[in-house]
Amino acid sequence: MKRLNQLPTFRIQYGKELSVNFGQKRCRGLEGDTIASALYANDVRIFGRSLKYHRPRGLYSLDGECSNTMMAVDGIPNVRAENTPAVDGMNIKAQNVFGKTPDFDMMRFMDELSWAMPAGFYYQTLHKPSRIWPLAIKHIRKAAGLGILSPDFHMRGKFDESYISTDVCVIGGGPAGMCAALSAADQGLRVVLLENRPWLGGYFEYRPREYQKGVPLYQRARELAESVGHTPNIRTFKNTAMIGSYHNNLITAFQRGNKSDIFTERYLEIRAGSVVVATGCIERPLLFENNERPGVMQIGCAHRLARNWGLLPGKRAAFSVGHDLGLEAAIDLADLGLDIACVADIRQDSYDSNLAAELEKRNIPFLPGWVAIRAHGSKTVNAVTLSSINATRRRKLSCDTVVASAGMTPVTGPVILPGGKLTYDNHTGFFLPATIPPQMHVAGRLLGLDDPFAIETSGLLAGLKAAADCGKPVENNLKEMAKNQATLPGPTRGTKLVTGPVKGKETFICFDEDCTLKNINQAMHRGFDVPELIKRFTSAGTGPGQGGIPGHNLPMYVAETGESPDRNPKPTTVRPPLVPVYLATYAGSNHDMSKRTPMHDSQVKAGGKMERIGVWNRARRFSSDTSARKEIENVRNNVGLLDGSTLGKFRIFGSDALKALQRVYVSDMSKVAEGKVKYSAMCNEDGCLMDDGIVVKIDENDYYMTASTGRAGQTIEWIRYHTRYDGWNFHMVNLTDAYGVINMAGPNARKVLEKVTDADVSNEAFPFAGYREFLIQNMPVRAMRLGFVGELSYELHVLSSYMQSIWDLLEITGKEFGIQKFGLEAQNILRMEKGHVIIGSESEQRTTIHDLGLGFLWYRNKPEAKTVGAFALKDTEHQKGRLKLVGFKMKESGTRVPKDGSPLVDSRIRGYVCTARYSWALKEPIGMALVDDDLCGEGTTLNIYEDGCKGKLLSAKVVSMPFYDPDGKQMRC
Amino acid sequence: MAFTITCPVCGIRRGYEFRFGGEDKGPMPPEESLASETWCEYVHMNNCIAGIQKEWWFHRDGCGSWFTIYRDTTTNQQVENR
Ligand SMILES: [Zn+2]
Repeated sequence: MKRLNQLPTFRIQYGKELSVNFGQKRCRGLEGDTIASALYANDVRIFGRSLKYHRPRGLYSLDGECSNTMMAVDGIPNVRAENTPAVDGMNIKAQNVFGKTPDFDMMRFMDELSWAMPAGFYYQTLHKPSRIWPLAIKHIRKAAGLGILSPDFHMRGKFDESYISTDVCVIGGGPAGMCAALSAADQGLRVVLLENRPWLGGYFEYRPREYQKGVPLYQRARELAESVGHTPNIRTFKNTAMIGSYHNNLITAFQRGNKSDIFTERYLEIRAGSVVVATGCIERPLLFENNERPGVMQIGCAHRLARNWGLLPGKRAAFSVGHDLGLEAAIDLADLGLDIACVADIRQDSYDSNLAAELEKRNIPFLPGWVAIRAHGSKTVNAVTLSSINATRRRKLSCDTVVASAGMTPVTGPVILPGGKLTYDNHTGFFLPATIPPQMHVAGRLLGLDDPFAIETSGLLAGLKAAADCGKPVENNLKEMAKNQATLPGPTRGTKLVTGPVKGKETFICFDEDCTLKNINQAMHRGFDVPELIKRFTSAGTGPGQGGIPGHNLPMYVAETGESPDRNPKPTTVRPPLVPVYLATYAGSNHDMSKRTPMHDSQVKAGGKMERIGVWNRARRFSSDTSARKEIENVRNNVGLLDGSTLGKFRIFGSDALKALQRVYVSDMSKVAEGKVKYSAMCNEDGCLMDDGIVVKIDENDYYMTASTGRAGQTIEWIRYHTRYDGWNFHMVNLTDAYGVINMAGPNARKVLEKVTDADVSNEAFPFAGYREFLIQNMPVRAMRLGFVGELSYELHVLSSYMQSIWDLLEITGKEFGIQKFGLEAQNILRMEKGHVIIGSESEQRTTIHDLGLGFLWYRNKPEAKTVGAFALKDTEHQKGRLKLVGFKMKESGTRVPKDGSPLVDSRIRGYVCTARYSWALKEPIGMALVDDDLCGEGTTLNIYEDGCKGKLLSAKVVSMPFYDPDGKQMRC
Repeated sequence: MAFTITCPVCGIRRGYEFRFGGEDKGPMPPEESLASETWCEYVHMNNCIAGIQKEWWFHRDGCGSWFTIYRDTTTNQQVENR
């Protein structure tokens, strides 16, 4: 269709063309078009089919308040066509259509069957007998839900997030919102202004009506927007829908990105000192038969189509309205070339007589006290029947557009969500906030104001109130502004009629859920008398629009029928998100922040297969052989190097440091001797193993300790928690990233170390469990003799910046002794051969140190220390029925290795395999398992069940541990 | 999400930054002559007050201190000390 000639209110740019594909149809649009306006310009009238009855649906509000115009765009379902800019090359599909185009839907017979599906149909009909459930489920699933998401669909785009602190947050960029932002900013405050549309201006933005002599409203809107734009302390977010509002002034919203933005959508969380809600009004739908037939639309929709996008809504329109905006739109559209069949107005009198005179001047029939009762036409409107409100007279007029609206309804979601309460206001016919959460203010049309000056002044006033919340001395300004406000017109009297004289069978109160007035009547007939319950039973207002369409009409209708015990209309609740949001937007960008050890790059270069373990990247192995055989054998026969930098490392010092250690470690930490390492464990209150590590004494009241990799993040928190009542004097420093760790292990380890240091590292001078500090080529090293992998080994703690140098030196020096890197997989098998546990592999939430055979670590004679877990350790020491850690081998040779985690069974589950691997040292599979205590005797048979084993159990037997070098000669030599 | 906590060191911060440390139950009773029931009561049982409760919080993404606040569990808002 042909667009109008250039208007000053246009948001499209002539000359900048684009095209989108609607199914098979290529639609040409202009830059500035939304998907909805681009399709409308190409004569698309049916945008989709409704949820239950497959009725045709089209443009209605142009602000995305219902699912009528939700479409699939480039594979993304439920995109709101009215709010989404058209982008060249977009592929758009109508939803809920069974057939090629929404014009011909194979399920449209559902509409004829609507009589068979009363309110609560699914609840009542399909629950008995139960054998029909599978069939019912299949068919309901097929028919239910809006939009199709392909299971292998991959969401593209960049989803950002932003957490903003501000003094004042203004919701709504209309005249009141802009004035509030300006007056708060004028007080020197930081202001965030949120606007759903791509531009500021709201209610003024498209209207040519006079604001003051020679200045139309749209021009005033642009002036205000310009002032806002020039105010550096106002940060404006356009294309931004508010989705949630919470206490402590937290506002959530999301912003759709423009071409120039680096994000597709951005989630916003705004914490403000004060909030101004200037969300204005949406139109309250007028209910009549076929009130959602394509061609029926609200005043703003028809008016903005023409004024913003240059599209006349049709050729001939009938108006059935209840607000002066309708009269104004009819006059303007008539001047722009639309043939107006008539303007029916619900109001008998209280309309603006000047506007009525303007209609008369244009020979447009004006019918006060009349209302539309039926739209005709099977796919789109071709006629409308009007009736006098008292149902005495009727007229049928042919037209292709019905502009229908019962009145206005305020957008109060931001006030209700954090706990504001609404009451019905008889003058405006609105549900108005009776209580408003602290530091929140309302302004503008939402209060029922219509006069442009009154709206702006209420904005200025709210901005000042917000400034007062933020501690600005504005008492006098407030008094002045309140005085101004009092001289201006107050709230307009609003209409209350919901529906003309209709039967209600095809009168839709909720478009999203296909809910008719008849359904509401059925619910009331069944005894549901409160709107909130009727909403649940009929599902009216539970769709994507969150009550935008039915929210006002439902309680009004219920109150009108007199079915409710309470004659005051009771509004239903709304919940966040107030606007449908992509899950991708909520998820935001994926900040996968992992840590790299100082050796990372060189490990990767050496062919390390890196794996993500907790927050760390670690080398699992250095060849494609998943068994890591060469690495293992090299540690047993020569010497290996492991990067153990992920180990948690801490300094704890101060006069009460020892007391803190005694509190959290189960051993007697007063026995930590100089030059020795002390291995111990931390338990929780239940005596369950939380962490293990070593402690060394660096100096008087000064200790160095390690924590396991996965636990390092919580160690300080843990120690401080368990000493929180004591007021002890000690401090902790997390050195995890400051130090790297090299574990050099194998029979040749000493030969390598001797060559790089002048220190005496002989077995006599530096024995097993010893701690030494020395230099390797002037680089200080903290060295410990430990035996996690069961060979002679030195754990070298080195400042991170020296790690690469020392590592390289060891590798070069160790060449003649067969030194090689080894990774986590090799370490895992080496330590298992020694029966050493890894927390989380061999222990779980309920595993005590007794269960693991580590009870010897517990020193019971320090009750004054109040050791965490000590009491439970006493209680569980001989407790029956616990899972105990055992070693096992397979009963028959040649049996394969069972999978980690496989359950152990007889007639029931008796435990599970923790870790099992093939041992190259023993030349057979070995493993560790947690088993019921009556199964832990040596020689007991364990039957292992594996996923998919089809009843064929693997058979193992309990053996003693360690498997390798039980006397520990290798690590002590 | 909307919850804020006033840390004695860092001031008012978003609730995200903190870890909950349970109701304030006072220090662990002495280990000697402690009955299993008393131990269990102390470690595992909570008062679960619907109203204002004193509780421990840890400023995990901040100064790293443990401290107590009063919180109204029915509104999930920090309140002034009674
Ligand atoms: Zn803090």
